[in-house]
Amino acid sequence: MKYLVMETHPSYAVLLDQSGRFLKAANLNYHVGDTVTDIIELSPVPDTGQKQLRLLRRITGSLTAAAACFLLLFFGVYRPNFTPYGTVRLQINPDIQMTLSKTERVLDLDALNPDGEALLEGYEYRGKDREQASEELVSRAMDMGYLGEGGIVSITVESDDSSWRQEEEEKSLSQMREKYGRTIIIRTGIMEGETEEPPLQTESDVEIIIDLPTPTPAPQTVTPTPAPVIIPSDDDDDDNEGVIQPGDDDDNGDDWEEVPGDNSGNVPDDDSEDGDDDDRDDDDDGDGDDDDD
Amino acid sequence: MVNTEHEIVEKVYAAKTDSRAADALIQQYLGFIRKEAARTVYRTGSSREDEESIAMFAFYEAILSYEKDRGAFLSYAARAIRNRLIDYYRKEKRHRKIISLDTPFQAEDEGIRLMDTLADDTDHFDGYAHREASQQEIREFEKKLEEFGISFSDVADNCPRQKRTFTACIRALEYAREHPELLEQLLRSRKLPVSELSAGSGTDRKTMERHRKYLVAILLAFTNGYEIIRGHLCQIGKGKEEAAI
Repeated sequence: MKYLVMETHPSYAVLLDQSGRFLKAANLNYHVGDTVTDIIELSPVPDTGQKQLRLLRRITGSLTAAAACFLLLFFGVYRPNFTPYGTVRLQINPDIQMTLSKTERVLDLDALNPDGEALLEGYEYRGKDREQASEELVSRAMDMGYLGEGGIVSITVESDDSSWRQEEEEKSLSQMREKYGRTIIIRTGIMEGETEEPPLQTESDVEIIIDLPTPTPAPQTVTPTPAPVIIPSDDDDDDNEGVIQPGDDDDNGDDWEEVPGDNSGNVPDDDSEDGDDDDRDDDDDGDGDDDDD
Repeated sequence: MVNTEHEIVEKVYAAKTDSRAADALIQQYLGFIRKEAARTVYRTGSSREDEESIAMFAFYEAILSYEKDRGAFLSYAARAIRNRLIDYYRKEKRHRKIISLDTPFQAEDEGIRLMDTLADDTDHFDGYAHREASQQEIREFEKKLEEFGISFSDVADNCPRQKRTFTACIRALEYAREHPELLEQLLRSRKLPVSELSAGSGTDRKTMERHRKYLVAILLAFTNGYEIIRGHLCQIGKGKEEAAI
């Protein structure tokens, strides 16, 4: 290919090739009107179209990055922390239900009966996790008199994820036992006598009974609960069966308040010396009565 | 320092479109260009002049392709110069076995080069006359283009690079050549008869608008009086003739 030199500049020359193209090339000492052959052509400069393409690529690239960040946040932070994953139901007698995220954050706290409402009144659950909330709620129930010595707390975990459910159940069970196992009974499964009876709920009826108020042979009406519940009954309240009612007499409350201090030392003796215990409990009861009177 | 850098960037951006500004900028940085070229020189065999030309050309390329987000202009240009020269040396390597005509004929004889010992058959006067004539014709052509407000640099910048666009433009040219009245109309009105050309050749209007400067130049080359240029453009219409045969 031959090129005709059309214009010369210090740094480049404009050449015309034989097919009609005008192009810029290195000016190797050319003069206008020369016909030259070996040229060093201008390397293609990215024109506006390519620039736009580059811009477009940059935009799509940043959009992709933003989407990736969003997805990461959504699945990595939002989903496990802010979407309901399962529920934990605590039946003390106030019946309450915590809605948990996968990471055990308490998302919602509902009362399932009027006592539950009373228990939750003024309680702030936001930002707490399952462990903290359940602990606080149980101690709150104790303070408010719902839960006394030998009371039962029933834990029911429900979730679509069965392994999560099981794990949560085990964790909350062991946690509660560690904390309150000395004074109250913790078990899993929905408490008897409630409206809804889970059809296949295998009651793993793990019950730790550490201290017993008088198992008085009082001929109260037989408890309808098949579960071997120990009735912390007084002579007075006949109606109190299996479940500790919040509306109990003062006696019960007193009982419970007095007992832990006394009991703590006696715990190991429990099984071996039933008789002793019985006696002492009787005494306690008596005291309580006396006090009241 | 920041200020001068800013100034250079401004000048570079001005030089992208204005060839006169580009020339001035290159003149201003000639020292820098020479220094950068000298840093890359491996051997002194090839002529210094070519290397300098290439370095200047690389500097010009750097002006055209520089973007603000690519760092300081001077280091960008230095790299461009170095790369161009390395490319050049690689290409020259192929000719290493060929002795330059500039080498001295005999070691002792100073001033007499190998070139001078060759018999010269070419008619120097004829060649000179031819060059004079074509130079004159090109100057006239340049003046004519100036009436349209176009320089050769503009035409080169405006020349279609894609093959499809280029053949479309040539198609428009072919049509104009078959209808000389269109060329006359161009000379008279100083306007490209876009609608007639696009109706006749089937080339898209937008394509022609985009390459207006180039089309004007190539159409002008086929108006009367540019025999040498037209003779040089022997490959135009070749494909068409071949197709006809």
